[in-house]
Amino acid sequence: MGSTGRVTTVTTGSPLPSGGGAPFAALVGAALREPFGRRARHELLFCLVGGVQLWLCLLGVPAVVFGLAWLSVMLGQAHGGSLPPVSIAAAAAGTIAVALLLVLAAPCARRLGAAHRRLAARLLGDTVPAPPPVRPGRSLVGRLGAGLRDAAGWRAMAYLLLKLPVAVFELYAVFLAAGVINLTYPFWWGMFRNHPPEVQLRPVLALTPFPGRVLHVGTFPGTFLAVAVGAAMVLVAPWVSRAAVSADRWLIRGLLGPGRLAQRVRDLEATRARAVDDSAALLRQVERDLHDGAQVRLAALAMNLGMAKEKLGDDGDPLDLRQARHLVDAAHHGAKGALIELRDLARGIHPPVLDNGLADALATLAAGSAIPVELTTDVPVRPTPAIETIAYFCAAELLANAAKHSHANKITIGVASREAVLLLTVTDDGAGGADPDRGSGLSGLAHRVSTVDGRLDVASPPGGPTRITVELPLRA
Amino acid sequence: MRVVIAEDAAVMREGLIRLLTDRGHQVPAAVADAEALLAAVAEHRPDAAVVDIRMPPTHTDEGLRAALELRRDHPGTGVLVFSQYIETRYAAQLLEENAGGVGYLLKDRVADVAEFVDALARVAAGGTALDPEVVGQLLRASRHPDGLAALTPRERDVLTLMAEGRSNAGIAGALVVTAGVVEKHVASIFGKLELPPSEGDNRRVLAVLRYLRP
Repeated sequence: MGSTGRVTTVTTGSPLPSGGGAPFAALVGAALREPFGRRARHELLFCLVGGVQLWLCLLGVPAVVFGLAWLSVMLGQAHGGSLPPVSIAAAAAGTIAVALLLVLAAPCARRLGAAHRRLAARLLGDTVPAPPPVRPGRSLVGRLGAGLRDAAGWRAMAYLLLKLPVAVFELYAVFLAAGVINLTYPFWWGMFRNHPPEVQLRPVLALTPFPGRVLHVGTFPGTFLAVAVGAAMVLVAPWVSRAAVSADRWLIRGLLGPGRLAQRVRDLEATRARAVDDSAALLRQVERDLHDGAQVRLAALAMNLGMAKEKLGDDGDPLDLRQARHLVDAAHHGAKGALIELRDLARGIHPPVLDNGLADALATLAAGSAIPVELTTDVPVRPTPAIETIAYFCAAELLANAAKHSHANKITIGVASREAVLLLTVTDDGAGGADPDRGSGLSGLAHRVSTVDGRLDVASPPGGPTRITVELPLRA
Repeated sequence: MRVVIAEDAAVMREGLIRLLTDRGHQVPAAVADAEALLAAVAEHRPDAAVVDIRMPPTHTDEGLRAALELRRDHPGTGVLVFSQYIETRYAAQLLEENAGGVGYLLKDRVADVAEFVDALARVAAGGTALDPEVVGQLLRASRHPDGLAALTPRERDVLTLMAEGRSNAGIAGALVVTAGVVEKHVASIFGKLELPPSEGDNRRVLAVLRYLRP
């Protein structure tokens, strides 16, 4: 569950134009424009920088290590016969080189991987969170061991190795893009090839899509062939780069991220923080409601009764029954108001009918709705109380939302359990256009649902209907 | 007595207006937030202001801050702060410089109308009105537990009522004894706690509160 708590929106867009020549022309136009788009530029740049860097590093690191090994062997030889034979020195140097490679591989791969991740973020807009940092050991051995045990580092190494073939295609895409040079041939042909006819010049070379092969251009009309080849290369380049980059992105997401376990920990941390915040906010809200509601009413009620007592001749005050009746009336009114407020507050904390099960609670909820509600429940196995509570409050909030914004004539609530999942769907035939990103209560609900690894999906195209699906585990 | 009221709950505000006008006092202004309170006091120069601590916009302590400002800028206006909870820290802030013309009561106290109006009148006249809850907290957190332990239970009652800001007559009324008995208790308390004898209710409250201050 990598993306718990995210709200997914499904909106059906405008229908695809059916058949005919116009769409084909549009497609060709788009394909022709593509090489000059911003996205194509960024992808090509990604291919260039990433590919070159990868090959340089993967060739460079072993080169340095083996260079060191070679140096030590040379030094051993230089000392002559009094020292161990060359073969032993070479073996020792080889062992050291392999050990060095092993110890340095993960940390180096981690750094290189981070560079690729940043490159992807900047050029492709693909933000992949960084893996958790390595916990370094205290001693030298511990520190070296930490490098060996760094799973994220080894995954980065896997990425670099798997990227090698991808990078071949990425660099090939860059090469294809270089076909743009061919387009210039006709322009400078006239400038540099205006020699007398008897002068024999060697043909100039132009790029072809096959890296090993070149085009020999000997005549001015020949330059147009070069242009045609170059144009084809330039037009094809973005598609090659896109394919390679797609593969690369897939690798980056899979191997340069925090890893499934770390991602899970991260999700849990985030949802736990939200759950803690939510419960603190809820308590604050309850305090606030009590303070501004029932408490004030009761204080005013006590005040009215205090005044009424005086009017009844308490403490030798003059008797004034009319006033006293008026004050008792106000107190009576206040007491009823306080009762209502306390009842609403208590029900808001936990609806008692929920103890009888979700079906009863939802039936009560549906009965109180301003818009007619059709309720179907099919929950043979009772979920845990926490899940029931969340499902109930989701339904209540969604119902309230629908009543407030949708202008619907009918709402359908369905609750069903499927294996270990409780599925709550709230559908209305209203105006649609519910957007979880526009700070509605939907994102709050999604947060709440995510604390138990549930998810909330919103399908609300403009014009309706709106269908909101809440998926919860049966046990939490 | 002319009283300005600052209280954001309408039901409470209306009740207070009624309570006070019923007893022949005037309420030239009743407002719902701290800013309006400061303006109303500057305009009407009342004898006292009743100030709720939690008011809009933040519902935290804007009433208290306004009260402190009133104490500084309008020493002639008594300030009775009232709220649904007692915070010792707020009490300490209110009493920091002097105990004259200030009160701090729980909202519940309005139920005893006569006592509430009494307390308000005391504050308006430059006296003190501290909630028994505040005094109780002060007694519990006092730095002189030994001195307090030396008091008889009756003397403790008298000390509590003194700290609340009551006069000898008020204490006598509350304990249903004669003023003479109260005077004797007071003298005994001052002796046991080694407080300098002080003239006037105000100075007496101050001496007692200083003694109790944690």
